[in-house]
Amino acid sequence: MSLPTASRQLILDCIRAVTQNPSAYAKVLRTYIRRGGLGIQEKLKLMIERLREYDADVVECAPKELPATIAGQLALSGRQVFVAPAGLPAEWLAAGFDWKIDRGLENSEIERAEGVVTAAFCGVADSGTIVLHHSSAEGRRILTLLPDWHLCILYASQVVETLPEYFDRCPLPPVLATYISGPSATADIEMTRIKGVHGPRFLNVILVRDED
Amino acid sequence: MNTGQPVLDPRYAPGFPIAALPVLRNPQLRKNVAHATDVIQSERARLIAEKSDWQELRSAASAIRNHVLENLGSYLEEFEARCTAAGGTVHWASDAAEARAIILDILCQEQASEVIKIKTMTSAEIQLNPALEAAGIHAYETDLAEIILQLGEEEPSHIVVPALHLNRSQVREIFARTMGLKDLTDDPKALTAAARNYFRQKFLTIPTAISGANFLVAETGSVAVVESEGNGRMCLTLPRILITLAGIEKVLPRFADLEVMLQLLARSATGERMSPYTSLWTGVTAGDGPQRFHVVLLDNGRSSILARPIERQTLKCIRCAACLNTCPVYRQTGGHAYGSVYPGPIGAILTPQLMKMEFAQSLPFASSLCGACYEVCPVKINIPQVLLELRSQVVNQERGQAAWLGDLMFLGMKAANSIFASARRFHAAQALCRIALHPFTRKDGWIHSLPSLGAKWTQTRDLRGLPSQSFRQWWAARAKEGR
Repeated sequence: MSLPTASRQLILDCIRAVTQNPSAYAKVLRTYIRRGGLGIQEKLKLMIERLREYDADVVECAPKELPATIAGQLALSGRQVFVAPAGLPAEWLAAGFDWKIDRGLENSEIERAEGVVTAAFCGVADSGTIVLHHSSAEGRRILTLLPDWHLCILYASQVVETLPEYFDRCPLPPVLATYISGPSATADIEMTRIKGVHGPRFLNVILVRDED
Repeated sequence: MNTGQPVLDPRYAPGFPIAALPVLRNPQLRKNVAHATDVIQSERARLIAEKSDWQELRSAASAIRNHVLENLGSYLEEFEARCTAAGGTVHWASDAAEARAIILDILCQEQASEVIKIKTMTSAEIQLNPALEAAGIHAYETDLAEIILQLGEEEPSHIVVPALHLNRSQVREIFARTMGLKDLTDDPKALTAAARNYFRQKFLTIPTAISGANFLVAETGSVAVVESEGNGRMCLTLPRILITLAGIEKVLPRFADLEVMLQLLARSATGERMSPYTSLWTGVTAGDGPQRFHVVLLDNGRSSILARPIERQTLKCIRCAACLNTCPVYRQTGGHAYGSVYPGPIGAILTPQLMKMEFAQSLPFASSLCGACYEVCPVKINIPQVLLELRSQVVNQERGQAAWLGDLMFLGMKAANSIFASARRFHAAQALCRIALHPFTRKDGWIHSLPSLGAKWTQTRDLRGLPSQSFRQWWAARAKEGR
């Protein structure tokens, strides 16, 4: 609902009075690079390089090795309690760990979990960015925020080279989106980069080579 | 009023040359500012070198922002309609007082006694925190730098890294004192962890948050916030009620325009390819995030800036602060001397205009017009051009106010005009000055201090002494000898 106020009219009238010549959106010149020129292997190499530059941990695996790779990463983390979005594929829920499936978990339950496992919507190699659109396998926004450790499963086929290529992959704009580029960080004290202020301190990525 | 604290209200702040003096005599502060701006600048330069289409991105961003301003009314209405359809409530505030009243009204209805805040310069612009405190509502800043400033009762000195004027031992002192942590070390890791622990429970329990916005998307009614620490995501997802305060110029036509802006913003602002977290949300989403969402669209002088053809470009700004980091004046003085929450080159043009040219008239002169700010600006704001325009307005104001004959500056300019108009008068003036300035010229060839009116120059800069011979005299003498 919008509240019709005198100020609304005042501001819009003031703006209209001084913008008499509207321009066409299509006239905006866009000569920047839309599509990158890298081959698949180079593109994935760049994605991994950029993720690592932001202190993210990356491992690769073949599609059929994925469940075992997830189990391995969970074990390696030394953690036991994980949250998972309700739509996470069942075969990703490795045995031997405590899984809290998000069917309306309380914040305090998510907060107590030691890690979270999610899918992703897209990866952008140019900036090492992971895109979440918060589908049922990517989870509510809070799931990837409160736990200290985030394991994200990214398929090679989801990786694009440039940011505009990601936008080309959105037939409709997302209602919710989070772009993650490395773990939470700050440089507010003497420009010294410190990992993990309020968000997860550890970002782990499994890159599934489904395009080989 | 002099409490030792910098005054960041342009209505009360002293003029820039006066406010800059204590900073110039504070070597620690200058060292801190130089270090921080150097680090960001070198990272920025490295990342921009790897973008072969950087100039094309700048041109597109500039064109998009120009287009927005030319069609601002319809984009704001489109944003309002989409945001409303998605469950948000849109408010319009003509000025700071109205924005504060709207926010206080919402908080009263929600019976809020505390709010958590994401860093927003716009809320500092409308002096929201003091108004909240006066109404008995405590606002917790949650960005690390803002926490440092709030706990230490310091003022921001930069748009993006507002505590860059403090070093680690100063931060340690503030945290140890205010959080009761006597054993805290000055390791930035320990300081960051202290902030994380201090705020975890607040995030989980305080049900109301206030944010700014980096971008509003007209096409979808979405809001985008770019941040590093995750405090923003906490504020955007944990509370039940969210209030977003945004200047009316923050709107973008379409979702896809973010493909340009997001490539430019983090690289320009913090020297990162992307900031760790960019959040985009649209109204209210069932089961995810705040269920009551308000947007306050703030004018506060912006629509009057829109009216002026040269100054309009000021509103293209996306608040990356690249112009601050590169500015030779800002790098010497830091932010406090500008007497505004918007310091540096962008502050020097934005602040006086937001004040409708009634205050902060010294700021357009706080520049050497070197043009470095224009060169780094990701949306190509020609800051020197706007500075010159504002300077001429200030001079016209002063002319309008001062009695011409009593105005020494005016008389001086008249005299200079007449001297420069004639070679004979110019040579005579040279000879006269050589004699008059001689007693003030030190052995190093520089004049460090002049009496009376001349002090206006030497207060802030040295003056080269006049050489014993002018070029024309030397040329004439050389020609004679050569024969």
